[in-house]
Amino acid sequence: MGQTIAEKILASHTEDGKASAGEIIEARVDLLMVHEVLGSRILPILDEMGFKKVWNPNRVLVVNDHWAPASDINSAEIHRRNRNFVKEQGITNFCDVDCGISHQVLPEMGLVVPGATIIGSDSHSTTYGAFNAFSTGLAATDSALILATGVCWFRVPESLRIEISGELGERVMSKDLILKIINQLGPDGANYQSMEFHGPTIDAMSVGERMTMCNMTVEAGAKCAPMPINQDVRFWMEDFAPKKKWKEVTNDSDAEYVDTLQFDLNEDPLEPTVAPPELPTNGKPVAEVEGVPIDQAFIGSCTNGRIGDLIIAAEILKGRKIHKGVRLIVTPASKATYMEALERGIIKILMESGGIVTNSTCGACVGGHLGVLGPGDVCISSTNRNFRGRMGHQDSRIYLASPATVAASALKGVITDPRSV
Amino acid sequence: MVQRFSNITGRAWVFGNNINTDQIIQGQYLRLLDYSEMAKHTFEIPRPLFASRVKKNDIVVAGHNFGGGSSREEAPKVLLHSGVGCVVAESFARIFYRNSFNIGLPLLIVQNGSKLVKDGETVTVNLLEGTLTIKEKGDVIHGKPLPNRMLEILKAGGAVPWYKQRAGHKG
Repeated sequence: MGQTIAEKILASHTEDGKASAGEIIEARVDLLMVHEVLGSRILPILDEMGFKKVWNPNRVLVVNDHWAPASDINSAEIHRRNRNFVKEQGITNFCDVDCGISHQVLPEMGLVVPGATIIGSDSHSTTYGAFNAFSTGLAATDSALILATGVCWFRVPESLRIEISGELGERVMSKDLILKIINQLGPDGANYQSMEFHGPTIDAMSVGERMTMCNMTVEAGAKCAPMPINQDVRFWMEDFAPKKKWKEVTNDSDAEYVDTLQFDLNEDPLEPTVAPPELPTNGKPVAEVEGVPIDQAFIGSCTNGRIGDLIIAAEILKGRKIHKGVRLIVTPASKATYMEALERGIIKILMESGGIVTNSTCGACVGGHLGVLGPGDVCISSTNRNFRGRMGHQDSRIYLASPATVAASALKGVITDPRSV
Repeated sequence: MVQRFSNITGRAWVFGNNINTDQIIQGQYLRLLDYSEMAKHTFEIPRPLFASRVKKNDIVVAGHNFGGGSSREEAPKVLLHSGVGCVVAESFARIFYRNSFNIGLPLLIVQNGSKLVKDGETVTVNLLEGTLTIKEKGDVIHGKPLPNRMLEILKAGGAVPWYKQRAGHKG
């Protein structure tokens, strides 16, 4: 029996070279990413373990991203602990509060490699599937064990094959596509599974568009979301990791899948999609929610804070003013994204339209800082979760959408189809 | 040891489907460094009185996809700190499932538990047999027995003692 991409990557990281869906295996971890959870939760566990040295200081990335720069005394303390740990352990890859969001900076640092196993102390670690990696989120205890040993046990996931063909259409983005796909699956429709993407639409996408897709697979419960390599990933590797050796991992033609979902976007054109509260899988065509008044419009996060996202927002907002009374907050995903947007004149366009541009951080997406919602606030957001209370007060409401829909809605003050402005 | 797993008896707190980790503990409390402080905010949104009323060994009984969303280990941790003896649900999100056993909080998969059990009823969980018993009615609901790996971690007292045992065994 042939292997899926997830099986093949995991198998190449076990001692006996085997991994079949359903089995429990021990696999080597190529890279571990930890953020503030290191200082707050992992360090006390390491103490309990009697931990001395990290298994390999070159295979760990520490990022201070969630509350960057520190939003209060506790986050400042957590950041201090992380800095000390990095110093004591001689960890080579460290992003302090000036860098940006882990899932964006990790590939920018050239740390993502096709075929690698990457674990993050964050559920959105499925993002690196865009680079043909096996990547998944775990939490504090598993991260502590990996820091000590460099290995982790996994249940090898079954794979769900998703084939997509056709064009996205003007001002329709990969965010709209993933909102539609997870709507079809439901919040646990891919629980424990590998969502393996295929098809010409995925092949034609930029790295950023692919990352948005893989990022949100966890909202359907997926464990990982590997995609085959495409041209833009090859360019990315040349630009950001020219010295890294890697080999693309493909699925075997006779690999076994639990199911195959097919989307033909030419036959069934994709609409801009919006997920009303309180589940990311609530996606529906924008027409069904058009006209809902908003207080805040947020563009940012590991889902949609990349350069392509800022470009489309600027294209919509150029030379225009956002609606009176609406707060538009833009948080670029990384410092590099911010700098590129500065050079391209995008930051100026966004600010002249009435937007607030913040430093790079998870910030408002986790209800941390720089755009927390108050009681009764309605926010249209390019982020990944619209759970009750996610971005602030429990009586605020979040509608998830693409950056284009967020920008168009900021202009009009109500949820708006980006093709109409 | 056996008693610990075969007879977890407490009052049921019944929840619906898709209770995510933000509902268990909101992101704004993750900066608290002390778990007992954090536990005061457990289920603050769906059940504001939970934290002040929960008693040791109470059982959370939920529908499907309990614990989805953020990977935060704080979610099972605050349940454990609140005294919750076991979470019973129709299904669990994968990271929550793993985190719970890692920190020594038992979970049991039982179909229709949240429909058959009424809030406040006394229930008993037997992890070794995979059953949920409703005391007043005497009804026994059969769930899914725990996989060996999870029982192994639970018996060790969580993933850290499990790791130490294995390291000791190897060394």
